[in-house]
Amino acid sequence: MSRSVITNARLIGEQSLADLYLKDGLIEGINLGGEVSHTFDAAGKLVTPAFIDLHTHLREPGQEVKEDLASGLAAAAAGGYGTVVSMANTDPVIDDPGLVTDLLAKAERLGLARLRPAAALSRGLKGTQLTDFAALQAAGAVMLTDDGIPVADAHLMRRACEYAAELGLLIQTHSEEPSLRQGGVMNEGAVSQRLGLPGNPAQAEAVMIYRDCELALMTGARVHIAHVSSRRGLQLIEWFKAQGAPVTAEVTPHHLTLTDEALGTFDPLYKVAPPLRTAEDVAYLRAALARAVVDCIGTDHAPHTRAEKDLDLLQAPFGIANLEVAFPLLYTKLVLDGVLTLAGLLHYFQSGPAKVMGWPAPSLAPGTPADLTVLDLESARPVTPSAFKSKAKFSPWDGWELQGWPVATFVRGKHVGG
Amino acid sequence: MNRHRHLLDFNGWTADELLALFETTDVMAQVLQRTIKKVPALQGFTVSTLFFESSTRTRLSFERAARAQSADVVSFAAGGSSLAKGESIKDTLRTIDAMQADLYVVRHAAAGVPYQLARWTDAAIVNAGDGRRAHPTQALLDAYTFHTSFPGCDGFAGKKLAIVGDILHSRVARSNLELWTRLGATVALCGPATLLPRELEQPRLSLHHRLEPALEGAHAVMALRLQQERMTSGLLPSLAEYRARYQVTEAVMALAHPDALVMHPGPMNRDVEIAGSLADSPRSVIERQVANGVPVRMAVLYTLLVGKK
Repeated sequence: MSRSVITNARLIGEQSLADLYLKDGLIEGINLGGEVSHTFDAAGKLVTPAFIDLHTHLREPGQEVKEDLASGLAAAAAGGYGTVVSMANTDPVIDDPGLVTDLLAKAERLGLARLRPAAALSRGLKGTQLTDFAALQAAGAVMLTDDGIPVADAHLMRRACEYAAELGLLIQTHSEEPSLRQGGVMNEGAVSQRLGLPGNPAQAEAVMIYRDCELALMTGARVHIAHVSSRRGLQLIEWFKAQGAPVTAEVTPHHLTLTDEALGTFDPLYKVAPPLRTAEDVAYLRAALARAVVDCIGTDHAPHTRAEKDLDLLQAPFGIANLEVAFPLLYTKLVLDGVLTLAGLLHYFQSGPAKVMGWPAPSLAPGTPADLTVLDLESARPVTPSAFKSKAKFSPWDGWELQGWPVATFVRGKHVGG
Repeated sequence: MNRHRHLLDFNGWTADELLALFETTDVMAQVLQRTIKKVPALQGFTVSTLFFESSTRTRLSFERAARAQSADVVSFAAGGSSLAKGESIKDTLRTIDAMQADLYVVRHAAAGVPYQLARWTDAAIVNAGDGRRAHPTQALLDAYTFHTSFPGCDGFAGKKLAIVGDILHSRVARSNLELWTRLGATVALCGPATLLPRELEQPRLSLHHRLEPALEGAHAVMALRLQQERMTSGLLPSLAEYRARYQVTEAVMALAHPDALVMHPGPMNRDVEIAGSLADSPRSVIERQVANGVPVRMAVLYTLLVGKK
């Protein structure tokens, strides 16, 4: 039996500081007193349920040069996350139940943030043959997705939805119509035309979001639209939700804080899929958060090596690593700037993603898992990529002065990071 | 006195600085008229041509411009080099940096590479064409050719340049737009809707899908090379239709200024984007454009390497 306490914890909605007791990996209760083996002094900082990220590229197996479970789950813990859903676009692709079992066993041994693996929707992400959904689910896969590669074949997506609906499995989509996206490396618009870079229009996203929402409505499958980046795309989701389609929407920290103007420096650091859009799109996404049209904030943490990001803009890979800055970035840019309340932002990191998955809402109630994060909402400090736990030690937000830093993360009652 | 370290595009260059480049070009053109076509202006400097995309004509023009001023030249071409073995542009640059180049002339298929290289080296960078984005020395030689060839030319204010063709994929169009508007001219860009960027917007620019309004009153008309692959990639129905709607001919030139010049950045598809007879007519300054390549590039190299002292 292990028992510990976080003293002087500020809790949302409470006037006075509290001592939060943790026992055997669960929350025991408040101000109970008695013997403990460990004490963590929160010193008046906010203690809140650990974050959940439904969209994390951990790159293991096969791409450990970019990230691995140890570095990625440590980065998650440092960012305040207690649970992450790992994407399946690894090498080999996570399309076999044995690979799911292996990932879970290794993450368990590491004892950092909890890992809930996604499995591929199609074998090898080739978009032609479905994976064994039921066997993957039995092995522990929590969603099906070919994320990184849009499912181009509408018929395959339809069958995936039908099959997944029967199993109650969530399908996450990377919705960008490949034939319209073509070789675009940034948002198509005035900026891409000025910079002479091949553009990827918001319509490529909207067209496939439309298809995926129609299929969700048709089949009853729960379809989660990953990384919605454009006003056009989000408006469609809002419309389909009003029709009763079982769709949910995710937005990312980068699409909420950066615009296509960033490509004016010609730094592939800003090359991401879907691309950074216009200031108008960013404003629309932010307003949609305030109107609760969006269901969760997912990071799409997508680490690459420095050498890969030093290639030219046509060749450099898509992706931004952001697990360790997601919360302070959005606390500073959304809460301190008055777009959202603190509780409103926390929702998108906690109960929002849990609801998308059909998991219990994270809380501090006795008997719930002791997955917690301690947030320093007062101190401002610059983003320092060299100190990241992630292997991707560079960032579009390098040097940005942010508040809201996670200072400690507990998973199963154990201090695992921050 | 030059305050620019690089020529990546014309961002930050004033009209006076650009006209000063033309004055230096006049001097360089005189040097090239002499019996001994060489001056020691850049003796002791090393100019390196870094061509990640092949272009023999532009590379030779820069190398001639460097050697005519007694600079040493280190030439790097991607074909058959370490680049084919997977070396990154950054590592390639470091290798050549070790040879102590003072200035790189860079061409690359991706927009922005000259900007990336400028972050990684202390040497000067001259952009010799990056993707669809910019080709500033081509624009300089085009504008210089106009400046020295248009009858009684008294500057660029009130002048109109029309550029016809595949604007979308053209770094020549983008750089000429940037340069001529900076010098005070207006620019009309003309092409089919699939090859004309919809959202290019700036003062002194007009966009046209039809030749007639674009050419009306123009003092210079530039036809751009049409790549054959535009038909197979769904951007154009056929060569015949393009020719019928967008070929620059003697007949449509009647709409332009009576003294209007005809230009082409080369290489030319005769009787596709431009009527062959027009290219050979007295209005055509296409050969003069080619000839002006060397003195313009001499002026750029000289200004960046010596002009800052």
